[in-house]
Amino acid sequence: MIWEILEAAIFPGALFILAVSLFYEWIDRKFYARLQNRVGPHLAGPFGILQPIADLIKLLSKENIVPAAADRFFFTFTPIMAPTLILLACMFLPIAGLSGLISFEGDLIVLIALLSIYTIIVYLAGEGSNNRLASIGATRAALQLIGYEIPLTLALLSAAISAGSLSVAGVLEAQIERGIWFIAGPQVIGFAIFVVAAQAEMERVPFDIPEAEQEIVAGWEVEYTGARLALFRLSKDLELFLLSGLGATVFLGGSAGPVISGLEPLLHAVYFILKSAVVLLIFSIVRAVFARLRIDQVISFSWRWLMPLAIILIILTEVLA
Amino acid sequence: MSFEIPIGPQHPIHVEPIMLRLKVEGELIVDVDVDVSYLHRGIEKGLEVRPYIQGLYLAERICGICNCAHSLCYCLNVEQLLGKEAPPRARYLRLIVEELSRMHSHLLWLGHYFHTLGFETLFMYFWRDRERVMDMLELITGNRVTTAYNTIGGVRRDLPQEAEAKLRRALDYLEERMKYYEKVVDGEPTILARTQGVGVLKSSEAISLGTVGPHLRASGIRHDVRLDDPYSGHDEVPFNVVTHDGCDCYARVKVRLGEVVESINMIRYALDHLPSGEYRLKIPPLFKAPEGESLARVEAPRGELVHYSISNGGTNPYRYKVRTPTLANIFSVVYMLKSRGDREVYIADVPPILGGIDPCICCTARVLVTDEARRKRRILTLTDLRKYSQGGRRVRG
Amino acid sequence: MKIPGYFIAEALRNLFRKRATILYPYREVDKIHVPEGLRGRIEFDREKCIGCQLCSRVCPAKAIKVVQDERGKRPVFLIYRCIYCGQCAEVCPTKAITLSRFFENVALRKEDLIVR
Ligand code: SF4
Ligand code: SF4
Repeated sequence: MIWEILEAAIFPGALFILAVSLFYEWIDRKFYARLQNRVGPHLAGPFGILQPIADLIKLLSKENIVPAAADRFFFTFTPIMAPTLILLACMFLPIAGLSGLISFEGDLIVLIALLSIYTIIVYLAGEGSNNRLASIGATRAALQLIGYEIPLTLALLSAAISAGSLSVAGVLEAQIERGIWFIAGPQVIGFAIFVVAAQAEMERVPFDIPEAEQEIVAGWEVEYTGARLALFRLSKDLELFLLSGLGATVFLGGSAGPVISGLEPLLHAVYFILKSAVVLLIFSIVRAVFARLRIDQVISFSWRWLMPLAIILIILTEVLA
Repeated sequence: MSFEIPIGPQHPIHVEPIMLRLKVEGELIVDVDVDVSYLHRGIEKGLEVRPYIQGLYLAERICGICNCAHSLCYCLNVEQLLGKEAPPRARYLRLIVEELSRMHSHLLWLGHYFHTLGFETLFMYFWRDRERVMDMLELITGNRVTTAYNTIGGVRRDLPQEAEAKLRRALDYLEERMKYYEKVVDGEPTILARTQGVGVLKSSEAISLGTVGPHLRASGIRHDVRLDDPYSGHDEVPFNVVTHDGCDCYARVKVRLGEVVESINMIRYALDHLPSGEYRLKIPPLFKAPEGESLARVEAPRGELVHYSISNGGTNPYRYKVRTPTLANIFSVVYMLKSRGDREVYIADVPPILGGIDPCICCTARVLVTDEARRKRRILTLTDLRKYSQGGRRVRG
Repeated sequence: MKIPGYFIAEALRNLFRKRATILYPYREVDKIHVPEGLRGRIEFDREKCIGCQLCSRVCPAKAIKVVQDERGKRPVFLIYRCIYCGQCAEVCPTKAITLSRFFENVALRKEDLIVR
């Protein structure tokens, strides 16, 4: 029992995930900066590696302002819910082993559902702050959900169909059994769809429409300050971790790899981190090379291109399977 | 259901305070109201109480980015009052520095424009390349931004020895970069999606709304003060007026990219044919200008800039008037931002459209009266201002 | 249809280029390139000054105060008002004023920003 609690709390549980996701934020920022011929964070710690933590601490120490017009309940409830949900979703990922801390048949569906609930939390956070810009941002977030959620689900499902299992661990196992990653096959289309949809889920360029700085300032999070903003920032980092981890697990064979007995959890974790870092770098490149689309363009893009592609993929998988 | 959202006076896309009150229905904009009166600095009055030589530096500070155009326009104006003309070498040097500052302004604009589209990487690249221009400006004039190069009767320093070679190297680099950026703009569909067909302003509309500069040229009109009224060696240095028939934001990007290339060629030509001789006239620093009035026009990076002055024979101008290009262009923004007919304008189109005119608000500010006690604000109309100027009557808010 | 991502090649190429930023003022302070002829902090040579006050009359920022010392009238430069236009150096008949290349005019006390 104690062992399990420790696992959930420290390794490969909450603490480990938090640390790695802050580290991922640093990778993302540094790599993005290098793509832009800049330095990136360089002050806190060696090569600025502690910058995300420093930012978090700074935000936590700032004043907490609750606007008079805001809905107090949503204003407090959503910032706590957002990182919790994502952290819960991270527990499904097989990190230090071949199955996640929580694992059952059908957990892939639960994971996708959690991601959608997260968007709803975002919507509530925006509407709850009772600001005109925030409510536009919240509406955009909800609208965007219509665009990317189904392709994302279909992309993950086609991998699941191909593996013949609806659990994350099952998908991973199928890849180990066949000795080949899903990306080396028709699922590469699924990976492409996944990258695009994940970018939309994380609200990053070219889909950072709900918080488009130049249009609606910060969108749904415009009213949040101090600790609340810190929690939202943290949930963004966790989301980055979750989605790059999910991509690595489903398409790149996740934590699987040659192991030396005795060191299994550690080696699995290393494989997981390395592979998800690759996905992360792909996310960063995508962020760097596009202009932001308009909300109507996103919807029409995803229904005109992503959806048919995803459906074709599903059919292809069914035929091949 | 429609509601109002404020864009400004503090907003990430605004570098300077301007207020756009958008009435939106969902994402669609149905009505716009612009308020540019946040930054009235009283510069025209300031110019009237300063000797000409001090006014030069104040005029330069009307706008930081087009400071060269402002100081050049001021100098041309005062030279006209004095009945003098800058020597040929000075005219060429002025042209070189003016074109450099046009390049710097356009590169800044291009970077900022892609920033407003959320394309941060291009933003960084443009600003990185702009550093080359800034270095050249610093080398030639002694300062990166506020050049203080033009002076009444010429320019303040000669071209430094090592400048020419360095300048040519920088120009080669920039030309190559510009060619690449043209390809990026044409080749990246997300940029095209955000700019093509956005903020359409047809030629006839552009004329009737009185737009100027690259904004007008992007509507397909061949208008350029450098061509129509050559003021500083532009009749000798050949150049093309870059126009584009797109009439949209894409055309505005293309025109500015093209103008940077044009500027590069102009500077090259000017360097090749730089006349020798004096680079400034000997004019005492503190002088009296003869009675009269004069008007000078300059093609600033943002469009036609007009300085007008009346002298009553004293050491300061009696009246000084500046018409900046943004003021001429701001009306078209209001027009473009409204959805009408089949032209739908989304909230997301505000940054590209407003950014498209290259707004420089601080030179645009007009008069607004705020009554603190009664908490009322009122913008003075033309009639009010006329009454005020004639009768000296106090205007109440 | 054009394929999105035209820019990827250039972005990746930049990964291996030297960064364009200079870590000023943290490190690399000496990497800042200051050209000859930059208009920076004013340097004043009392020996050359003849007290004509021309500099104070042309200064657009009213940054030059004229005071009396044992040798007569002389200017005092308030750097915190100076806009580095160089007009004073230009008009000075004896070239007593020069603008140095020193540009880091930051101080905690106002007195440090006065050149006598
Ligand atoms: S440089 Fe210009 S502002 Fe500074 S003291 Fe001299 S004249 Fe005045
Ligand atoms: S202009 Fe030169 S000589 Fe005259 S007061 Fe100023 S510093 Fe002295």
